[in-house]
Amino acid sequence: MHNPFEVIPAEIYDIKQESPLIRTLRLRPERPIEFKTGQFMELTIPGIGEGPFTPSTSHFVKDTMDITIMKTGFMTGYVHQANVGDRVGLRGPFGTHYPLDRFEGKDLLILGGGCGLAPLRSLFLTLLDEVDKYKSITFLAGAKSPKDCIYKSEITGWKKYPNVHFYRAVDVVPEGERWDEEVGVVTVLLKKCNIDPKKNPAVVCGPPVMMKFGTFDLLKMGYQEENIYLSMEKKMYCGHGQCRHCVMGEYYACKDGPVFTYAQIKDEEAIWE
Amino acid sequence: MLIKEQALRSFFQQCTEKGVGAYSEIIVPVQQNENEGSLHLSPFSADKLCVLDRYRSIDPVKMLFYMPREKVLPPQKPGSKRIVAGIKACDIKGIQVLDAALSGGDFTDPVYQAWREETILIATDCTAAASTCHCTLLDGKPYSESGFDLNLSKLGDQYYIHVGSEKGEALLKLIRKHVSIEEATDADLKAIQSNRKKMVEKVTAQNKKLERSENFRKLRQDQDKEWPKVSETCVGCGACTNICPTCYCLILNDETKAQQFVKVRSYDSCQWNGYARVAGGDTPRPKMFQRFRNRYLCKFLFMKSNFDMLGCTGCGRCTEACAGNIDFRKVIKRINDHVEMSVIHE
Repeated sequence: MHNPFEVIPAEIYDIKQESPLIRTLRLRPERPIEFKTGQFMELTIPGIGEGPFTPSTSHFVKDTMDITIMKTGFMTGYVHQANVGDRVGLRGPFGTHYPLDRFEGKDLLILGGGCGLAPLRSLFLTLLDEVDKYKSITFLAGAKSPKDCIYKSEITGWKKYPNVHFYRAVDVVPEGERWDEEVGVVTVLLKKCNIDPKKNPAVVCGPPVMMKFGTFDLLKMGYQEENIYLSMEKKMYCGHGQCRHCVMGEYYACKDGPVFTYAQIKDEEAIWE
Repeated sequence: MLIKEQALRSFFQQCTEKGVGAYSEIIVPVQQNENEGSLHLSPFSADKLCVLDRYRSIDPVKMLFYMPREKVLPPQKPGSKRIVAGIKACDIKGIQVLDAALSGGDFTDPVYQAWREETILIATDCTAAASTCHCTLLDGKPYSESGFDLNLSKLGDQYYIHVGSEKGEALLKLIRKHVSIEEATDADLKAIQSNRKKMVEKVTAQNKKLERSENFRKLRQDQDKEWPKVSETCVGCGACTNICPTCYCLILNDETKAQQFVKVRSYDSCQWNGYARVAGGDTPRPKMFQRFRNRYLCKFLFMKSNFDMLGCTGCGRCTEACAGNIDFRKVIKRINDHVEMSVIHE
């Protein structure tokens, strides 16, 4: 019988420090892991614990996996002490994924902030692998300040596609830091997109408060509730809809999500916390 | 069929002494001493006061299948086949909920499943009720009609045997080889039905004042008016969830020391502040009354929608265990009445 708690060992072959608090672990699992973009993995630091993280690589890449992690607490503290060559564990993938077939031929809007860019990078890179299937992709990315921006070195490459638009905004520019792009919360970038909101899909991922106001702004623009895809990352502990930590009313974020449409969950309590 | 209580004990004795079939471990409710009436689950032995009838034990039977702390990777394996006897209807229902959660759908907990496969369930009818017992308020009865391998109904110094499964049928054959079993008469069956009816009446009567609407959606209609009041004395200890026959929330700890990954699961409690807290410190239920409310919504709405069964079987253990002296039944009644009153006033 398959043990659902089984762990696939993986080696850290590279570490990229994205910002003072965010780093990307580049992992090589002992055997290839098939996942669909939007799904998440449980990452184990041996002897310390495990936590849910979304891969940030394209789902067409199977032999390696990048996971971008912000230092926020106990377990992620150890993630930020890990070294190249260390052995970690992976369980998964778990949950629902972004419905790429519903994005085909559409003008897709991606709205993200902070470490919420991690799953969005996976989505974005997956889309780029078949970029002609989509009419256009507009990626709006937010960060606290210029030094908190992640994936900096990759942006020039992302901008070279004719049907891809990439814009960034930071909340504040502290004295002494240079910034030529937009200043303000990420939703200020919405004015830059020229998309018919009635028929097109939007994907939102970021800190809870950003997701809340991002979603409300999209609704105001005329986006349909069932076309707004949210990555509701909760405390997904077991991954199987068993431990109940991630329950949002009658839904499990780990099994019925993490990708939900706003229409699905709008009536549940405390979804933004 | 009828078996003398003495003969059943003798069979259990033979099992524990030399093993019968593959069964060498028998777990039964045991009274600690003559003066203390409460029952605890314990391995059978001749010098202990084994009580198969009366009402449910203090410990939920779930802890024999889903232990407070167990290694799930690599999975801990049961040592031998066992018989758990004296299980009351509220615990049988609890096991049915756990089955749906832990081995029913896409997910199978390997350790839970192994314990279930290696264990025979012998249910017994209640012949008494604790003051907190309230199965009849939840569409339950103080006797089991399904979910057991064998069910025993007390009749004087004998037990009437119902067979509930193939496993039970096989065990009955095995018992027959070692001790004598007699045929029952129609009069015996009538006597059992009459006993059962009396027990239903008893439990119904003691909960008469606590009856309320069956529409549990009402529990959700109040968010923060009445819930803070009913949970005022709750200290958030989590005793109610640990002792509940259907709570199964878990923490998965990593205890890897060498090359082999080791995962250990233990009970968690939704009553604790850190339960749903995510990185960064946000939690959907920062206040005690919100966590308190969550337990009731989980039992009556979420489990119902996930498994098509109520998460409360009416055992009353949470009321008995509560450090804040909170009566589970009264909470439901108060919220229900509050919501009904608010509707009238609107």
